[in-house]
Amino acid sequence: QTTGLVGLAVAENPHERLRILYTKILGVLENIPKDAAYRKYTEQIVNERFDLVKKESDVQKLQDKLNSGQIEEVIVQAENELSLARKMIQWKPWEPLVEEPPSDQWRWPI
Amino acid sequence: TVRPKNEAEQKQLCAFGEYVAEILPKYIQQVQVTCFNELELLIHPDGIIPVLTFLRDHTNAQFKSLADLTAVDVPSRQYRFEIVYNLLSLRFNSRIRVKTYTDELTPVDSAVPVHKAANWYEREVWDMYGVFFANHPDLRRILTDYGFEGHPFRKDFPLSGYVEV
Repeated sequence: QTTGLVGLAVAENPHERLRILYTKILGVLENIPKDAAYRKYTEQIVNERFDLVKKESDVQKLQDKLNSGQIEEVIVQAENELSLARKMIQWKPWEPLVEEPPSDQWRWPI
Repeated sequence: TVRPKNEAEQKQLCAFGEYVAEILPKYIQQVQVTCFNELELLIHPDGIIPVLTFLRDHTNAQFKSLADLTAVDVPSRQYRFEIVYNLLSLRFNSRIRVKTYTDELTPVDSAVPVHKAANWYEREVWDMYGVFFANHPDLRRILTDYGFEGHPFRKDFPLSGYVEV
């Protein structure tokens, strides 16, 4: 019973952990304005994965349906998404462009 | 012979480029896909850490690996140095290039908090071009000699240097 990956321990009760993580992510996304593209797309991804996790109780079949590597990797990815959502609230990347570049900046050939 | 055009991959990269540009309009100034199917994001320098963390952590764009960090010197521009980050996604097997700009005196945020691999690359860019990275843990010379003055890769640095060896 191993993940096959160095440094990743086997997760007991992955459904519970994923449920907690996805609810936390959705809670954090509530603090972003409704029309931000980040909120739209992330909610879509999280809800899709959440539905799959709720429906499928067999670990092996859940891994195949999610098609995203081992369950432990999915858990790590959800933790990353949670930390990213928290940082996005501070950075607010949905606002319009900070500053236009000088007109010759991205011209190639010069 | 010419490499055959892979329309499907080009369309996919265009779609992904538009996706990222929609999510991060605050920092992305331009998105382009080269004819060799390489996606490039052109960024404002304030947005280095947000864009790199987004590309590393987001589920649709798990670019966990920083393959390269370089700079390009174009002396005729107002912001002469162009910092280039090459990222690789192992999950989706795809690469992306992130480009920023700066001039000789403006510091740039270090990518070390996001990708530990950026440490020595940024030391090399500092040594060779003179681009200062703020919040870098250990920014010192890495390739030039100990008492060396000047930044060798700049276009105005002569080929055989200023000191006779």
